[in-house]
Amino acid sequence: MGFSVYIMPVLILALLIYARVKKLETYGTFVKGAKGAFDLVLGIFPFIATIMIMVALLRASGIMDILVSVMAPVFSLFGIPPEVCELELLRPFAGSGSYMLLSDIFQQYGPDSYVSRCASVIMSTSETIFYVSAVYFSQTSVKKLFYAIPLALGLSLFGTTVACFLCRFI
Amino acid sequence: MNKIWTYLMILSITALIFIEPSAVVTEMTNASLDVLSLCVNLLAVFTIWMGLLEIVDATGLGDKLANLLKPFIRWLFKIKDPETEKYIALNMSSNMLGLGNASTPMGIKAMKRLDDGSGKITAPMIMLLIVNATSIQFLPTTVVGLRASAGSIDPTSIILPTILGTFITSVTAIFVTKALEKIFFKRRG
Repeated sequence: MGFSVYIMPVLILALLIYARVKKLETYGTFVKGAKGAFDLVLGIFPFIATIMIMVALLRASGIMDILVSVMAPVFSLFGIPPEVCELELLRPFAGSGSYMLLSDIFQQYGPDSYVSRCASVIMSTSETIFYVSAVYFSQTSVKKLFYAIPLALGLSLFGTTVACFLCRFI
Repeated sequence: MNKIWTYLMILSITALIFIEPSAVVTEMTNASLDVLSLCVNLLAVFTIWMGLLEIVDATGLGDKLANLLKPFIRWLFKIKDPETEKYIALNMSSNMLGLGNASTPMGIKAMKRLDDGSGKITAPMIMLLIVNATSIQFLPTTVVGLRASAGSIDPTSIILPTILGTFITSVTAIFVTKALEKIFFKRRG
């Protein structure tokens, strides 16, 4: 952890010094770039909201729990412990929600247990796929994602399997 | 997306009508509010990153990074547009450093440029999504931080399996996506 806190500040500092050496108009340039952020966020808001409204209902209705209990035996075939099942299912939908779940797992099993280590690696090998695709495609003309989502989900499951396998040895 | 969303909505609302009908509208409103506050956060974060990105652009560093990654990006996406290459290069490198928030605006820009306006998804668009979904991570800073605050005796112990795991997943993902591309996009060229 020690050195990683320096990466961002040093990179930003280096960028500004480099821009100064090149005598660029940094202030105006920053403002110009920052302007774009507003339109971008305004553009993606309805897409994220629509997805998250569905996820909220899915969890409140208990259907998420049913899905977890149905999928647990399937996941254990891949060597994925049942304790991380809910994380694996929630991960494609909700970024902040899955971080909350990860904290719960740490609390319950202790951060250095096999389950917690698996869960930690899963967070990096998987991605909030539904969120990312909603956001990334929000500014395009694409209506149907073809096989993109199943492919991403399949690869994410593969990543989880690899993660659980590696955690046994490292 | 359309079908999945509709069916899951119908299923959830039907179940909730029997369990707790008042929760339907409350849950929807709360979720929407959560997303609104997420977007306020995103706006703040994007403002910083897009401001810095514009400076990176002006210094010509973005083009240099794109030149460095060009052979790889060309092989991966089969594109020749330098502007798109630059966005993809910045998107991929910030992903690897675990800077999800910095990579998103560049990913959106790259995706927009890959769009041919036909309403149909193209092979490079799928590749960009997959590369983003399975990126190699060298610095899982958020998870390490969470582990430290949960009282782990060795919070960084997951870095090695994370790098290895994401590397294996990423390489596999690229080859699987390439293979599927050959099957599904052969004639569309």
